[in-house]
Amino acid sequence: MSSLKNLSLLSTARRASALCAVLALLLPLFGPFSATAQKQQSQKSGSRLAEDQRILHVLNRLGFGARPGDVERVRAMGLERYIEEQLYPEKIADAGAEAKLQRLDSLRMSTPELYAKYPQPNQLLRRMQREGKLPPELAAAVEERMRSNQPNMPAQSVQSNSGAMAAQNNDAAGEGGRDNQYRRAIRDYYLQNGLRSPQQLVAELQASRILRAVYSERQLQEVMVDFWENHFNVFAAKGADRWLLVSYDRDTIRPNTFSKFKDLLVATAQSPAMLFYLDNFQSASPNAQQRRRPLLDGPMRARRQNQQGMPDAQQPRPQQQQQRQRRGINENYARELMELHTLGVEGGYTQRDVQEVARCFTGWTIRAPRGAGGADSDAGTFFFNERMHDDGEKVVLGQKIPAGGGMRDGLMVLEILARHPSTAKFIATKLARRFVMDDPSPELIARISAAYTKSDGSIRETLRAVITSPEFNSQAAYRAKIKTPFELAISAIRTLGGETNGGPAIHQWIARMGEPLYMYQAPTGYPDTAEDWVNTGSLLERMNFALALASNRIPGTRVDLSRFAGEAAQAGVSGGAIDKARVMERFIGVILNGEISPQTKLTLTGQLNAPLPAPSGPPAQAADFEGAQDDMARRGGRGQRQMARADTGRVVGNPEVVKIAGLILGSPEFQRQ
Amino acid sequence: MNRRFFLKSGGVALASIGIMSVAPSFLERVAQAQNVTGGRRKTLIAIFQRGAVDGLNMVVPYGEKEYYELRPSLAIAKPQAGNRDAAIDLDGFFGLHPSLSSFKPLWDSKRLAIVDAVGSPDNTRSHFDAQDYMESATPGVKSTRDGWLNRFLQSKPDERATPFRAVSMTQNLPRVLQGRANALAISNLADFTIRAGAYSQSVQGGFESIYEKSVRDVLGGTGRETFEAVNYLKKVNPAQYRPENGAQYPRGAYGTALLQIAQLIKAGVGLEVAFTDVGGWDTHVNQGGARGQLAFRLTDFAAGISALVTDLGKRMDDVLILTMSEFGRTARENGNRGTDHGHANAMFVIGNQVRGGRVYGEWPGLKSDKLYEGRDLALTTDFRDVFGEIASKHLGNTNLQTVFPGYGLNGSKFRGLLG
Repeated sequence: MSSLKNLSLLSTARRASALCAVLALLLPLFGPFSATAQKQQSQKSGSRLAEDQRILHVLNRLGFGARPGDVERVRAMGLERYIEEQLYPEKIADAGAEAKLQRLDSLRMSTPELYAKYPQPNQLLRRMQREGKLPPELAAAVEERMRSNQPNMPAQSVQSNSGAMAAQNNDAAGEGGRDNQYRRAIRDYYLQNGLRSPQQLVAELQASRILRAVYSERQLQEVMVDFWENHFNVFAAKGADRWLLVSYDRDTIRPNTFSKFKDLLVATAQSPAMLFYLDNFQSASPNAQQRRRPLLDGPMRARRQNQQGMPDAQQPRPQQQQQRQRRGINENYARELMELHTLGVEGGYTQRDVQEVARCFTGWTIRAPRGAGGADSDAGTFFFNERMHDDGEKVVLGQKIPAGGGMRDGLMVLEILARHPSTAKFIATKLARRFVMDDPSPELIARISAAYTKSDGSIRETLRAVITSPEFNSQAAYRAKIKTPFELAISAIRTLGGETNGGPAIHQWIARMGEPLYMYQAPTGYPDTAEDWVNTGSLLERMNFALALASNRIPGTRVDLSRFAGEAAQAGVSGGAIDKARVMERFIGVILNGEISPQTKLTLTGQLNAPLPAPSGPPAQAADFEGAQDDMARRGGRGQRQMARADTGRVVGNPEVVKIAGLILGSPEFQRQ
Repeated sequence: MNRRFFLKSGGVALASIGIMSVAPSFLERVAQAQNVTGGRRKTLIAIFQRGAVDGLNMVVPYGEKEYYELRPSLAIAKPQAGNRDAAIDLDGFFGLHPSLSSFKPLWDSKRLAIVDAVGSPDNTRSHFDAQDYMESATPGVKSTRDGWLNRFLQSKPDERATPFRAVSMTQNLPRVLQGRANALAISNLADFTIRAGAYSQSVQGGFESIYEKSVRDVLGGTGRETFEAVNYLKKVNPAQYRPENGAQYPRGAYGTALLQIAQLIKAGVGLEVAFTDVGGWDTHVNQGGARGQLAFRLTDFAAGISALVTDLGKRMDDVLILTMSEFGRTARENGNRGTDHGHANAMFVIGNQVRGGRVYGEWPGLKSDKLYEGRDLALTTDFRDVFGEIASKHLGNTNLQTVFPGYGLNGSKFRGLLG
């Protein structure tokens, strides 16, 4: 065994030294090359961007890319004024985007309303059963299902073959299973009573993000929502979070995108979505528990738990009560609060601090966290439960938090953390990485974090320091970031002046490229550097997305290439009749602002002359835009499977034109911003 | 110099060698992967039973009288000649669920080992958290960014690595494979291409030459690599695959996933880690005994694995199949003829190199004072001991501290599943 280990250590070492030797050999080869590159680099970083490049840069980084005419519009109003406007989103009229969101009812509902309108089927059935209100058809279906020995899938079970998407696709489980009758009965009941499937909730929230990113004039607001929702990540498929995320986006993040960081921190700490996701809602002082146990034995306990909605949708029936007795301090939120939300992993806290912070947050919980089947009118809202709180003295990062503080304990912690220099540095680093480049210099980070400290953590002022920095406005930052899949999809639609309903089909493309919204499991949120986004599988999907978009194959999303290519874009126009070079120039202008590497351009020109195979059969039709829009309401979260079936890759429109536009959208140049 | 080197993203990648920053071309690596002299390429196929399978009815402790007391309506009968609904005897104490009869020959030929009372030391009974921990292999720590199989890849730099080194046959990349090392999620091999209908070939040619000519940065390097992989897979021609040795995969996504994994292995594309998952195990209600819901799921589960083993034939010398599920289920059946979320569970380990025909791990028993928190099968083997042994002995990565951070894993914790 040990000799084996030594052997493999040896071979690792040998490999490493071989690698070093090879690199040493290569260095002279690369020497002149890299020296030139370095010189270019330093020239680049030293020089400021030309005015139009700066406008584009701002539209890309402080927004989701330019729509046709945007550059001219910003040039006319002045770039500085545009930036200033973007920093105060509430002053920008945004009726167009608001109109697009109208049909997404869930966005305007309170959490208790969402629980009532989008009930989890099993939970709803149990409640109706308990109250003796189960309609006979449903009772029969349930009875039949119980009796039958056929496999069935509890709707809340965690399903397969989709990894992180698993829980979102619960409704897929039984399709093709043998309990269709049961499903039909549930569906009919939902239809008759104006209820909707919980799966649809996440789809609507995802749609709202896509719609706003595409249509909103408040572009920086959308970028900051994306930034903060990733910084304070919550995973939609964890338990009740799909109901809680609507309020999280609307009431927690959006009002605080430019506020003081501390306000945002308090808002997230008190958000039911975060409390659920990081388990703080069940964190209770062991002492507090002992105190109340005698009071709550027997039926009284059961009743109280029902009122609080404690019954767990994922862990139904008798065992729940036993399980809930494993109460005690839960450190998850305390740890992630310091590691991921504020100080950063090396931010200078200890495991002892984690424990103390966890004590401070005991009792920060949620009323009826799983909705109580829609029966509780306060379900899913934050409340401080004194009885769960540890009221002793605590010491956090060397500061004493006196006994008896109650809810003030947690607020004090947030205050300490928001003011901490490590937090300033951590937030500055993340902002610089997001807005400037993957590897921001220590000097830039120091300047941004000084702005944070000086402004008492004003996000707006901190952001201003980022945007006005020479680094942000340098050639070195220009197109230095690889777009995230979300940014790529949105910017592609915008650059062509396309339309979308934000439905499951377009979201599924974003997911395929690697960034399903609200579906990142770990509290870290998505990483933000090129290495993380570019790999074989995702790059292939980026190219396929470009083609699907250019050929109008994404249901609910539509681009009109004839706007740029004129008549030539129509299907059936023969290749010979198109001035291909002119069409290509036009698309390079529109999509890449005319900035294309000589190599890519040369290749594209060569591609123009490569003949396409003759189409067989009648030209394919574009996915029905309006139809897809209506369809979305019915399909809810099922876009993924529909998509898998629909994606045959057929090209709609003139293939020559589609090919040109697709190649440019899928080019390395357009992956950058 | 007969190797083509490219820098994936300039100096950044150089700092982290092992992310394929320096590598020969895909085709060369495939060729090398197929002609390795000092040991053939080993493959791990990990199958996740999402939803928490009832290990106590999958591997039946029929020798334990408490088992029958705890499960009056769900228990599987003791082995009995002629009774097809009875457990299939393994060692005089444990038996297989009758739906797993196709595993019996594997057991008899010592190619199937069972690890029982295995799982995560964390006491969570949430599917979400428990799956998270099993995939990150850091129970109790949520902020671990990468999955353990990804850390396995990162910490075993492989110059011969191809884009197919790690493949998940799922729609999205599962947590277990997320991280810095390249890993592919493919729901169907036929989709791993440029999709433009009749024009696919022409459009692909366009993209190929654009990325071929593009600067040697992260996009250019990955782009070239992508098309080498796409073209290689085309030659393999996934649509024409015929399983060997009369193997019959079950219909559905799970069977297809296993079939395509077999295909990748046979195509010699350099597959080292394959993953897929299968659901339907969350049997709170009406679980069934020898027949019924769980039996139906197990039949499908076993049919897939048996087909895979049959299809791979002699190749099972280099392949190891590992099954896992986030936690077990309550020892006692509930009021709905089902079982609720429990603690320790059972895993199958299958391969020609496995020391099979044995149940590994101490059996804690089902007496009420032996049950975890008074209700569940207790844990005697940490799942990382099993993962670590496979990573180390089967796949040859001894860098266990990186793959399983904070656990202090070493050979002394291995169960001896592999020689």
